[in-house]
Amino acid sequence: MAIVRTEKLSKVYNPDTVPVHALRDVSIEINEGEFTAVRGPSGSGKTTLLNMIGGLDKPTSGNVFINGQEISKMKDSKRIDFRLQNIGFVFQHYNLIPVFTARENVSFIMLLQKRNKKEIQQRADELLEQVGLGERKDARPVQLSGGQQQRVAVARALASEPKFILADEPTANLDTESAMNLLDIMEKMNHEQNVTFVFSTHDQRVIDRARRVITMVDGAIHKDEIQHTDEKQDA
Amino acid sequence: MMYLKLAWRNIWRNRRRTIITVSSVAFAVVLSLILESMSLGSHEHMIDVTAQFHTGYLQIQDPLFEDEPFLDNTFYYDEALRNTILNADPSIDYIAPRIETFLLAAGDLQARGALVMGIDLEMEHNLNRLKDRLTEGRFFEPGEEAAVLGAGLARRLYVEVGDTLAMLGQGRFGMSASGLFKVAGLMNHPLREMDNQIVYLSLPTAQWLLSAEDYVTTILVTPDEIRNTDPVSESLRDALGSELRVLTWPELMPELLQGIEFDKIQMYIMMGILYVVIGFGLFGTILTMTLERMKEFGLLLSVGMQRFQLSGVIFMETLIISLMGVLSGSVLGFPILLMVLSQPGRTKW
Ligand SMILES: Nc1ncnc2c1ncn2[C@@H]1O[C@H](COP(=O)(O)OP(=O)(O)O)[C@@H](O)[C@H]1O
Ligand SMILES: [Mg+2]
Repeated sequence: MAIVRTEKLSKVYNPDTVPVHALRDVSIEINEGEFTAVRGPSGSGKTTLLNMIGGLDKPTSGNVFINGQEISKMKDSKRIDFRLQNIGFVFQHYNLIPVFTARENVSFIMLLQKRNKKEIQQRADELLEQVGLGERKDARPVQLSGGQQQRVAVARALASEPKFILADEPTANLDTESAMNLLDIMEKMNHEQNVTFVFSTHDQRVIDRARRVITMVDGAIHKDEIQHTDEKQDA
Repeated sequence: MMYLKLAWRNIWRNRRRTIITVSSVAFAVVLSLILESMSLGSHEHMIDVTAQFHTGYLQIQDPLFEDEPFLDNTFYYDEALRNTILNADPSIDYIAPRIETFLLAAGDLQARGALVMGIDLEMEHNLNRLKDRLTEGRFFEPGEEAAVLGAGLARRLYVEVGDTLAMLGQGRFGMSASGLFKVAGLMNHPLREMDNQIVYLSLPTAQWLLSAEDYVTTILVTPDEIRNTDPVSESLRDALGSELRVLTWPELMPELLQGIEFDKIQMYIMMGILYVVIGFGLFGTILTMTLERMKEFGLLLSVGMQRFQLSGVIFMETLIISLMGVLSGSVLGFPILLMVLSQPGRTKW
C-alpha cells in the first residue's frame, strides 16, 4: 500500500474574489523508500501540493490518504497529532525555534510525542551527529549557517520517526556546496534507513539526484518519471 | 520543563521591553502599597487622635447622656468605681475621667463658646501625652484655679499666658457656673476644631466650677491593643451592669468612620484606574510578543504542537512577567511598609 495517495486533489484559492487554481485534479501515489522530487516553475503548485499531503492545508475537493487514513477530513487537533506522529517537515526557511539550541530543537518534537527523557537526549545527540553537527549541538540557530540550520531541520524531521519527510525547497536558500551536502545527508538517510523523502525544488542539480521526478505545470501533473541514478550517487 | 524553558527564553528575547513591562507592574505594586499603607496609616492615625483627645477608644457614660449630653446626666466617680473598672478586664491599660460642658469664655476683648474639660492630668497624659502638647507656660496643679487653653482659642480671645480668663454658664442642675481663672499655659490640640475651643481645667476645679463635686460626664478606657476593644467592652458591661453605658470607638465616631470609608473608595477608584493602565501595558506587551512570533507559531503547529500547548506557553510567559513585577514591587515596597508601621508614637492596632 502507498504511504501517500491523493485522489483528484484540487485547490482553489480565493474562490469568491479572484480564483486561483493552484491544484487541478492531482492524483499521485508515493511509496515507502522513495526519493522523489516535485519540480516545476514558480507558482506551479509545488508548495500547495506538499501542504495538502502534509495536512497543513485543506483541499477544495479530492482526498488525501496517508497510510490509508483520509487526513483532509480530520479535526484540527487530531490532524496536528497525526502530523506529529507520521510526517516530518523541512521548510524553505524559518525552520527552527530561535530560542532553542540545535539539540533542543531536535528534542522538542520528541517531547511533544511524550517520549522518555533519556531516549530523547540520546536520539537527539545521535541525529545531530548523523547530520554532521555533533560539534554544534548547543548552538542556537543564529549561530549556525543556512546549511547547518537545514541539517538541524532534517534531524528534527527524522527525530519523530515519521512515515515520510516533506521538504519544500529545502536548498533554495543554500549555496551549491551546502545544498549538495544536505542532499548527501538526505540520500544517506534514504539509503541506510529507508526514510521516504518528497521534496520540491526547481534546482536542476537537486533534480538530478532524485530517483523519481514529478513535474508540475499550472497546478497539474505534467510528467512523472523514474530517473536512472548516475555515478555521483554510487560514489 | 522544556515548555518553561521556551517561555522563559521568549521573555528575554526583547530584554528592554520585558524590563519596562516588569517595571511598570512593579511600579503599580509599589504605588498601591504606598497608597494603601499611607491611607491605612493616616486613617488609623485619625482614629487614634480622635479617640485619644476626644472620644476615647471606650467610653463609659450615664445611659441618658447620649440623648441629653448635659451635666444633669453625669455620674458619681470614686475610688470604688475606679477599681471596679480597672479590675474588669486585664486588657485595660488605663482610664481617664473627664467632666465636660460648654461655657462662655471671655478675655478682656472677646468672648466665645468654649469646651471646658476637667481632667486628671496624669491619667490624661497616659492616654494622649497631653503634657507634650504644651507650647507655652505650664499645666495646672489639681484644684488650682488655672486653665490651659488651645492656642487657637487663645488667639481668638486675645489672651496670653498670665492673663485672666472669665468663664460663665450653667453647672449641674441649673446652678450657675462662673469663675475667674489664670491662663497657666497654651497647648496645641491636634484636632483643629477643638484647638479653637478647648479649655482644660483640673478635674476638681471643673467639678467645683460646675457644682458637680465627685461627678464626671465620661470615663475613657484604653485597652492595651485596639483590637481588644470589643472583649473589654463586654467585660465592662458585665462589671458595670445597667447603671452605666459602655460605648466603643466605632459607635463614638460614626462621621469620621464614614469619611474614612469615602476616602477608601476614592483610593480604590484611583488604584483601579492605575491597574487598568498597567493592565493595558501588559496586554500590549503580550500582544506584540505574540504577533511578532506568528511565523514561529505556524512552525510549531506544523510540526505537531497542539494549540492548547502553545496557549499554555504564552500564558506562562504572561504569568512570569506578572510575577516578576509583583515580586520586585513587593521587595521594593516592603521597606516602605515597615517605615509606615514603625512610625514613632504609633498605637498598636
Ligand atoms: N495563500 C494563497 N492565497 C492565494 N493564492 C495562493 C496562496 N498560496 C499560493 N497561491 C497561488 O497558488 C499558486 C500555486 O502556488 P504555490 O503552490 O506556492 O506554487 P510553487 O510552490 O510551485 O511556487 C500560485 O499562483 C500562487 O500565487
Ligand atoms: Mg513554493
